[in-house]
Amino acid sequence: MFARMRSFARSVFRRSVMERDMADELSFHVDARAAALEASGVPPEEARRRARVEFGATESYKDECREARGLRLLDDLRADLRYAVRTLARTPAFAAMAIVSLALGIGANTVVFSVVNALVLKPLPIEQPERVFFVQAGPGHPTTSFPNYRDLRDRSVSFDGLVGYRISPINLETGGAPVRTWGYLATGNYFDVLGVKPALGRFFHQADDVHAGEAPYAVLSFECWTGRFGGDRAVIGRTVRLNRTPFTIIGVAPQGFRGTEIFFRPDLWVPMMMEPQIEVGNPWLDNRNTGNTWMLGRLKPGISVGAAEGDLNAIAAQLGRDYPQINDGLRLKLSRPGLIGDTLGGPVRAFTIGILVLAGLVLLAACANLASVLAARGADRQRELAVRISIGASRGRIVRQLLTETLLLASVGGAAGCALAFVAARGLTAWHAPIDVPIQFDIPVDLRVLLFACATSAFAGVLFGLAPARQAAKTNPNGALKESDGPQAVGRGWPVRDVVVAVQVALCVVLVSACALSLRGLQQALTMSLGLDPQGVTIVGFDLGLAGYSKEAGAQFQRRVLDAVKQLPGVQSAAYSNSMPLSIDQSTNVIYPDDRPMLKASEVYTAHVYEVSPGFFQTLGIRREVGRDIDWHDGAGSPRVAVVNRAFAQKIMRTRDPLGRHFAWSWRVAEPTEIIGVVEDGKYESLTETAKPVVFEPILQRYNATTTVEVKSALPSEQVVAAVRQAIAALDPSLPLYQAGTVEQMLGFALFPSQAAAVALTAFGILALVLAATGIHGLVAYSVSRRKREIGIRIAIGASAGNVLRVVLGRIALLLGIGAAAGLLLAAAAGQLLSSIVYQASPRDPVVLGAVAATIVAVGALASWAPARRSLRTQPIEALRTE
Amino acid sequence: MERGTLLPGTLDLLILKAVSLGPLHGYAVLLRLQQITGGALAIEQGALYPALYRLEHQGLLEAKWGLSENNRRARFYTLTPAGRKRFREEAASWSTLVSVMAAALDTGKNEV
Repeated sequence: MFARMRSFARSVFRRSVMERDMADELSFHVDARAAALEASGVPPEEARRRARVEFGATESYKDECREARGLRLLDDLRADLRYAVRTLARTPAFAAMAIVSLALGIGANTVVFSVVNALVLKPLPIEQPERVFFVQAGPGHPTTSFPNYRDLRDRSVSFDGLVGYRISPINLETGGAPVRTWGYLATGNYFDVLGVKPALGRFFHQADDVHAGEAPYAVLSFECWTGRFGGDRAVIGRTVRLNRTPFTIIGVAPQGFRGTEIFFRPDLWVPMMMEPQIEVGNPWLDNRNTGNTWMLGRLKPGISVGAAEGDLNAIAAQLGRDYPQINDGLRLKLSRPGLIGDTLGGPVRAFTIGILVLAGLVLLAACANLASVLAARGADRQRELAVRISIGASRGRIVRQLLTETLLLASVGGAAGCALAFVAARGLTAWHAPIDVPIQFDIPVDLRVLLFACATSAFAGVLFGLAPARQAAKTNPNGALKESDGPQAVGRGWPVRDVVVAVQVALCVVLVSACALSLRGLQQALTMSLGLDPQGVTIVGFDLGLAGYSKEAGAQFQRRVLDAVKQLPGVQSAAYSNSMPLSIDQSTNVIYPDDRPMLKASEVYTAHVYEVSPGFFQTLGIRREVGRDIDWHDGAGSPRVAVVNRAFAQKIMRTRDPLGRHFAWSWRVAEPTEIIGVVEDGKYESLTETAKPVVFEPILQRYNATTTVEVKSALPSEQVVAAVRQAIAALDPSLPLYQAGTVEQMLGFALFPSQAAAVALTAFGILALVLAATGIHGLVAYSVSRRKREIGIRIAIGASAGNVLRVVLGRIALLLGIGAAAGLLLAAAAGQLLSSIVYQASPRDPVVLGAVAATIVAVGALASWAPARRSLRTQPIEALRTE
Repeated sequence: MERGTLLPGTLDLLILKAVSLGPLHGYAVLLRLQQITGGALAIEQGALYPALYRLEHQGLLEAKWGLSENNRRARFYTLTPAGRKRFREEAASWSTLVSVMAAALDTGKNEV
């Protein structure tokens, strides 16, 4: 095998040498034979002649020699390619249509695949990524407390290293005003366990990260180093301030290493023991109640996932016995790293794979389209093929030639598709989340993506070339040459191209319904009750902890900001809080209601908690159902009070009227809180959730340094943002602001998954419609041109316009009907899948399905219109003369 | 003796045999074939070359340019180790075939 490849390669790449050698060798033979004859007394001229005759047909033996080297196929291929280019150049409209639809189909698949590749397939850029796992406590619970992490790390025997880490906002000061960045807090073993080597300087290690506050070291990401420090090598050893504390830069991470979350672009890494300095005012390293730590572990060689989970869960069971109120029922499992375990991994995988299936359907529709046009052309070329077969071309040879043509189309289309995908991938990589969320994807067009595109193109080429090639292989030269183009070819049986059109219409219906269902779902999501009124509300965020404010100074500053904002022109109402519903920053706490004060961790209730100022409900348009609002008297000295939502009242307090009842936070059991009011339910984390229990506490009673100011105003948001910025700058010019924009922009984050789905599906739906329209148009135009004579005769003997149209369009209408019916059935089935991706998408929405059916009929009618009109204008005389 | 037509596949085996006796250029292979078959095999001379190229392509022969007896540039074929192995196998199976066929055809009426 190897010898053959070497010999073939030598022949191909040194073709001229091989040709010359072959000529030399054969002429040596003839010369030698002539010399021998001469020696035996034959005259020189006669000797040469006889030597040549004895040798035989030199050129044909040369050909056989080339074939022996496997060169024949190559020569044929070259001839086929030349022929294919000529054939396609003769029908530029067809070639352009084919290339464009393939480019769109292959491009769509390549884009989607590059996203799947980036999010699901591509391993993290670390050493032996397949041995590294995310450790999570069941679905939706990616975090655990740091003391729990410490116990798991010290007691488990399955890991070469268990890393605890977390992402956190960090204000970076390099001399000028602080900039808000995002970074990782990571235990000292982080880089060593992952096996990453620094691009510059050194990383921190286990020994650096032992005592709280003693390792003020920072590692920069490569992008941060080049972007914020100009790639200066002298940056090592420099001191910067992070959240007002001085840190020394000790190293730069390698290019391409962006931590262990694939959607995240960190600026820096800081040792975990610096947590109290980074998250000022909220130390949790020794607090078993605060579950803030993510865990990654590298399995020891030979340890299986199951064994490691068993090991971890034995420890978890012990932790559950030791701390039943916190850890009872704790179960740990391993999952793939990169997407915070199953929290994002599950939906992201389901969504991208769903989209990949749809993209595949689009490509199938494009192939079906081309197959039908090619089949129609193939029928026209029967006579040409018949001639070629009867003068000795083998059928295999003809099939190969036709496939060359389709593969040529597919590769040109594929190349154009790759270019499209490349542009789209760059666009996606450049995309930033619109608000203060450190989300950015890195979607490269790498070797794997290119291989996928090549495979897809080849697959498409064979797929849409196979039907015409099969037809050609069955060509019977006698029949095809004798038959004239007559009506007998039409109307008999079900030709492949008719089936193809029906299949295509069905695919189109599926795609268009998927698109319409998701758009309608999105529209419903936009109009459903959020439990708040985002209209005209602008938000601005800042963090006083990061800026070094003490608790007392911070509380005073918040109050002064609110007073200043309320004075601004056009402001109707204003408030501040630590966070708000549907923002990315959500926290939950464990609750004990007054009638059931002590519960185990597996039975406890948790509630979302917001710390809000008076005026919060009014500003956000949250309706109060009973009781009173929080006011300025609910301060530090007065009894602890809170407003809850209806779900809290019903699920936790088990009553519709909980006014005057109490509950306690797990971290402050001794001081129960009185419920003073109930507000309507809303959406807090995502739009798909069912109503969750929520507590609103007075921020005057429970200070929080993270501040969001909400302003309701009739003025445009940009003006409000500018005015608020100015007002805050007048109070503290060095305070960095973030998340300045409208609530509607912030909601964009919650709507992002369904928006992404809607955009992708709309693109696919339009693509499918265009493909179906061209397919139907092609079929009708073809059948009209084939049946010109028949139509001419019908008109000549007095057929009315209606009769003619019935003849021309009857079959098309039938195909359209069958295809649409099959498509609607499929769409109803596929809708089930879709409703799990797109919010509010009902699988059997009659309005949508009806609209889709109407669209398809309209598209079919439109596509058939021009050729059908042409058939009506047929002049009988002219039509009969064409033969 | 009548000049026989070539059985399919025998040309390759004969070439391997010819070359197994020492490196030969194409014309010398022809002469050697005529010599070892006593002139019983008749092929058009050119037909030798596709066979040589095929065997070379399969890695059974190796070809190198050298000088002929009268100092002209000629392409010399030698057997590769794979070619030697193949030759032994083919020769053995050919002998088996011949002896089986001979025994079968020699079977007399009263031996049945």
